[in-house]
Amino acid sequence: MSHLHIPDGVLPVLFWASGLGLALLLLLLAARALRGASPQRLAYQGALGALVLAAMAVELPLGPLEYHLTLVGPVGVLLGPASIFHVVFVASAILALLGHGGLTVVGLNALVLGAGGVLARPVYVACLRPWRPPVAMAVATAVTQTVSGALWLAVMAAAMHVQAVGHHRVTLVAGVAFPLYLAGIVIESVVAFGVARFITRVRPDLLPGGAGPAGTRK
Amino acid sequence: MINTLAQIDRLASAGRTPWHRASALSKLLLAAGIVLLAVFAPSLRLLAGLYAAAWALALTARLPWRLTLVASGYPVAFTLLFVLARWDGTVEMPVLLLLRPLTASLAAVWLVGTTPYPDLFAPLSRLLPRSVGDGFFLTYRALFELMRRTSGLWRALRLRGGAGGPVRRRLTLAGGGLATIVLYGFERSERLYATMRLRGHSGRICGCRHFAEGSRADLLVAATGLIVLVGAALLWRMP
Repeated sequence: MSHLHIPDGVLPVLFWASGLGLALLLLLLAARALRGASPQRLAYQGALGALVLAAMAVELPLGPLEYHLTLVGPVGVLLGPASIFHVVFVASAILALLGHGGLTVVGLNALVLGAGGVLARPVYVACLRPWRPPVAMAVATAVTQTVSGALWLAVMAAAMHVQAVGHHRVTLVAGVAFPLYLAGIVIESVVAFGVARFITRVRPDLLPGGAGPAGTRK
Repeated sequence: MINTLAQIDRLASAGRTPWHRASALSKLLLAAGIVLLAVFAPSLRLLAGLYAAAWALALTARLPWRLTLVASGYPVAFTLLFVLARWDGTVEMPVLLLLRPLTASLAAVWLVGTTPYPDLFAPLSRLLPRSVGDGFFLTYRALFELMRRTSGLWRALRLRGGAGGPVRRRLTLAGGGLATIVLYGFERSERLYATMRLRGHSGRICGCRHFAEGSRADLLVAATGLIVLVGAALLWRMP
């Protein structure tokens, strides 16, 4: 749900202009936090950014529905807050250049996805105490999806309020969007569980809390 | 989607039209101008004119019309939500709401379909922080490889029964499969780092410098920009 990218021309200027400004500011702060990152770390970040785009492109058949994953939760856990914001900004910009999502709303799309993504690792680390890594990853992803989806719905509702859309119409749109939002939380969390279960068995050092190889962590 | 992206990427490098020869900077400015005009256009006639102009750009760049239609049609699904919310019973309102994102995405497809990605990202990497600029190159470089792997993984899951059974099992298996690509991404980054060091990596991935080098083809871009501006000024107040 949260990667249903907002296109150009449907939101008021105030929304996308302030979204772009805020996203650029956060991007600068994230860049400062990543100043000493090694080229290998940046290459890893690029590879996971590409994985986010690849996951968005592939359809996951679920009976009559076909779902497109975002993987922002697991990637947020693997990379940390500063890197995940970079990744979602770059992914949103590349998608917008390919006609998928808007160029003027790159900032807002990055903020919607990034707001959830930056919480992924802190939630995962907090959940590691009571739970095993796969469960912690699933919970972190559920939080990521909940926050991103809620922000997406809030942006939609606020935009419709500004554009004086009637209350019953907002309810109608929410009626279409909300079940997809809930389905997104469940699907992404179960997939994240599978991702963490495999990584825990094969390369636990890639997860936060594991002994990471030198040069990949910051 | 993977095929659409791959075809656009190939056309950007293989195309031989004047648009392909023009500098990335001039095309970026023209595309940005069309996007902003589409976003702010108050009238249906102006939007229709801009949409026609964007199609003219795409077709004269010899981008296949079906591919262009598919690639630029992605925003329709989302826009329909807004049409549903704001429809006032007229024909103009949904057409206006649909033409804005369609014109913008068509301009973006024309830009990407005529500009190889190093030239496209080079000006962006000069405006954005180093790590973000490098992120554009590294992500796009890895994109097609990982898309092919993800697509192959899905096919393998289907063939080996991973697409059957309870939904929870299917999703967990899909997660396990995607984790193999995470590991591949990590190993790939180690190889890439070693290659970068061997080639004398200086700490920054620079896009090529000829993104701003002008040629005769840029006159065509400038003339098109002028025509679009004059046309927009004339049509701005028309209903």
